[in-house]
Amino acid sequence: MADLSIAVRQVGHVAILLPTGFINAHTVLGFEETLEKLVKDGRYTILLNCKDLSYISSAGLGAIMGLIETVREHDGDILLSNLQDNVFTIFDTLGFTQLYRVFGDEAQALAAAAPEQKG
Amino acid sequence: MASELDHAQFRLIIPSQTRYLNLVTGLAKRASLVAGLDDATAAKVSIAVDEAVTNVILHAYHGEGEHSVELELRFTEEALEIHIWHSGQGIRGDQLVLPDPKEYIKHPRKGGLGLLLMSRFMDEVQFKSDEASGRNECCLIKKIS
Repeated sequence: MADLSIAVRQVGHVAILLPTGFINAHTVLGFEETLEKLVKDGRYTILLNCKDLSYISSAGLGAIMGLIETVREHDGDILLSNLQDNVFTIFDTLGFTQLYRVFGDEAQALAAAAPEQKG
Repeated sequence: MASELDHAQFRLIIPSQTRYLNLVTGLAKRASLVAGLDDATAAKVSIAVDEAVTNVILHAYHGEGEHSVELELRFTEEALEIHIWHSGQGIRGDQLVLPDPKEYIKHPRKGGLGLLLMSRFMDEVQFKSDEASGRNECCLIKKIS
């Protein structure tokens, strides 16, 4: 099994990332490149579905931190869903659960992201 | 030699390459369970070890992969100790300032979070330097409650 694979799909204006494996200093480059490509393509609302993410180290957190300002400047956001307990603990320990909106599942996150669409 | 070790400790030497991080964190997690720690705590110990070894590879050795990182796991009745030795650049006192998470939220930026995770997830984090041998050590201690 690869250390990290990342599936990307688009639902409305939300780009959903599904990383499978772990994100550490070894695998972070692929994660960072995927995030940066989305932002480059103007996809500023990004949902990270972490159901298959076994752990994330500070290298991965840094990749997310590096883009949060950019996406918010473009009225987007980085949302998190389906965090496994140990991944939630990492985010929460660093106070990141106050910085990012965290949802129990993907549907809740998509529902929360939807009202941003204005007519 | 094996005779230098008692039966409650062992060593592993890995190349200073990030591809081996998962091997080391997996070992740290299993060692935590052997030491009697629960699953959630074992996950925290493994993350702390990931951060410590990553620091050695990326900062002490500047990402150069031809060096060695030596780990020793010590099992005592009171704690699991993980000692990590390297011959690269030691960490300076002014680099040991932990970032304030609240400041991070106000001013997001990369870097500095690894040390914070290590200190939050372990009971003790010590950095030592042996000038005679030129070796530096990071010691992570998790008490067994």
